[in-house]
Amino acid sequence: MNDMRLIDRAVDMKDIKIAARDVQVYYGDNHAIKDVNVDIADKTVTAFIGPSGCGKSTFLRSLNRMNDTIDICRVEGNILLDGEDIYDKQVDPVQLRAKVGMVFQKPNPFPKSIYDNVAYGPRIHGLAKNKADLDEIVEKALRRGAIWDEVKDRLDKPGTGLSGGQQQRLCIARAVATEPEVLLMDEPCSALDPIATAQVEELIDELRENYSVVIVTHSMQQAARVSQKTAFFHLGNLVEYGETGQIFTNPVDPRTESYITGRIG
Amino acid sequence: MTDATNSGAQAPKTSLIAHDARTKKRNSAEKRFRAYGVTAIGIGLFFLTVLFYSILKSGLPAFTTTVLSVEFTMTQEQYDEAEGTMLKTAKYQGFFNDGLAAQLAETGVEVEYDAKTIERIAGKTGNLIRAHYQENPNTIGSPVTFDLPTSSRVNRYINGEFTKDEVEDSRFLEAADLDLVDVMLASGTIRTVFDWNFITGKDSGVDNPGGAGIGASVIGSFFMMLVVLVLSLPIGVAASIYLEEFAPKNRWTDLIEVNISNLAAVPSIVFGILGLAVFIQFMHLPQSAPLVGGLVLTLMTLPTIIISTRASLKAVPPSIRDAALGIGASKMQAVFHHVLPLAMPGILTGTIIGLAQALGETAPLLLIGMVGFVAREYPEGFIQGFVEPNSAMPAQIYTWASRADAGFYEKAWGGIIVLLAFLLTMNIIAIILRRRFERRW
Ligand SMILES: Nc1ncnc2c1ncn2[C@@H]1O[C@H](COP(=O)(O)OP(=O)(O)OP(=O)(O)O)[C@@H](O)[C@H]1O
Ligand SMILES: [Mg+2]
Repeated sequence: MNDMRLIDRAVDMKDIKIAARDVQVYYGDNHAIKDVNVDIADKTVTAFIGPSGCGKSTFLRSLNRMNDTIDICRVEGNILLDGEDIYDKQVDPVQLRAKVGMVFQKPNPFPKSIYDNVAYGPRIHGLAKNKADLDEIVEKALRRGAIWDEVKDRLDKPGTGLSGGQQQRLCIARAVATEPEVLLMDEPCSALDPIATAQVEELIDELRENYSVVIVTHSMQQAARVSQKTAFFHLGNLVEYGETGQIFTNPVDPRTESYITGRIG
Repeated sequence: MTDATNSGAQAPKTSLIAHDARTKKRNSAEKRFRAYGVTAIGIGLFFLTVLFYSILKSGLPAFTTTVLSVEFTMTQEQYDEAEGTMLKTAKYQGFFNDGLAAQLAETGVEVEYDAKTIERIAGKTGNLIRAHYQENPNTIGSPVTFDLPTSSRVNRYINGEFTKDEVEDSRFLEAADLDLVDVMLASGTIRTVFDWNFITGKDSGVDNPGGAGIGASVIGSFFMMLVVLVLSLPIGVAASIYLEEFAPKNRWTDLIEVNISNLAAVPSIVFGILGLAVFIQFMHLPQSAPLVGGLVLTLMTLPTIIISTRASLKAVPPSIRDAALGIGASKMQAVFHHVLPLAMPGILTGTIIGLAQALGETAPLLLIGMVGFVAREYPEGFIQGFVEPNSAMPAQIYTWASRADAGFYEKAWGGIIVLLAFLLTMNIIAIILRRRFERRW
């Protein structure tokens, strides 16, 4: 890393991309997220860690309103994207999701060709003027997904025919193809081998130049490797949020410490 | 750890080659279960075979007919003479009999017969002959081969349904007539031919089973199915998509869901009486019309289509919807671009099965007057096809089966073969479509 980028980073850290204020999420009577306040910075990788069932995915999904698809799910409080409340009545969740892309835990390519998988987003958002444009977008996205070399000769083959790790990278390529401003990733590496994981982590680090990336992970090492900020959730509460280095070396809350050292979770 | 190791050491050693009692018991249970399965399939196949055998045996004769074929030349003088008399057809019949006699004499027939015998074998032939010459006056003076259908009794005799000894002489048939029939059969004057009229023809009156065809009612069924397809597929699929993908899950949608499932189990005759009350008595749509039949069958088919469509929509993994929504597709785009294509094979299969069910349905047609209607005419055009009274295949079969003349009984079986052929075709189409759509992914 050169000096130039370190300086950039220091400046960027000040921009808040997403601000959550007193967020509550309920599944019916189940209070899954309680009073969460968090500022997610632009051009930063933020990691959400915490024991299973603590609400990481739930909170992540409320950042692009994917929770709207769950009937019993209710979100209270404010979540601001660039200062605008995304739960405002006038907000179209479709527009929001074009800005806040998502990669899911389980690779979920469309049962269409690799090309169509990546081209789908740009097509519905009208990002390409013509076929050549689209080809370019697809190639760029696949390159950024670190999968171009593996699939460039079989773009017309179904995306579901790839291996699990390749599928996940295809999904990442698909997500970045629409040029989102924020990329939410829910345990993107849980299906990947160490090599593919390393590739995805490298990719996340690159994406940081342009996007704000939020990643949910169960791997402490991964959180430590890729993120600048870390949030620790426990039983629906945001227990601790801060610089990754500080969280891992010098946690304030005893619960954080016991989780990181492997005593709970 | 140590405990486990100890207890393991204490257990007696077992061999993999000698099966222990539990394994033996499990294996024999498995064998018994397989035997049950094979027996069940065997019984099923047996009954299927019996069914097909009896249907084919009773129905195939309906596809053939016996004709009396006579080569015959009508001179211009004969034509003028016949047209000049009062009893024109009798005159034509006389000419025909003379022609036949000449032909029989050529082959050296030595059986006694008279004009009445011919009439009992081939019916009143004068009409057909006159009609031919009126339509084709240019054939006067040149030889024409007439293939005149024999009476249904002769037909059945030739098909071996009764023997000469069983015949009681009546004004329809005398045992002696059959001697002539035998001779004419041997000389090729009476032949068995494929009866195109059965497939393409219209229904005849109650006294002429030989001339009855299922064609008109196939057309009726066709128009009915068109109505069912055009109405129930879009309505059913739209309703399912709404219920499955868009509707909130609350008490109302639960209620609707329960009701749809119940509708699927409602006896079809109930839909028939509903159709009678609503479409005919209230809306004053024409009776016996394929349009009304189609509407009634649409009501019946809708629940089937909705249930199968919803099942196939449900079977599409939610991760596909998430994937589409996650990159900013609207709900409708997610459904129409990704979910629906994946659900298509299931939807099509359900639709075709629903249509096949509707095609064979008789009971609701009873109440709207399609059963018992004698489909003597083809519809005149496309629109008329919907609104002019017609019959439908199952209704036609039912009508034939309830007619007194035994000749119709055979026609009913033949009609069942035609109906089954249509159903089989539809099922094959369903399979092909499913394969095609599945292979795309
Ligand atoms: N669709 C849902 N309907 C009802 N309750 C849900 C739903 N999804 C999650 N929950 C509940 O919300 C709580 C938080 O779940 P969430 O999936 O956010 O946990 P998580 O932190 O992502 O766990 P993991 O690490 O195992 O993925 C859990 O108690 C879970 O039971
Ligand atoms: Mg999760």
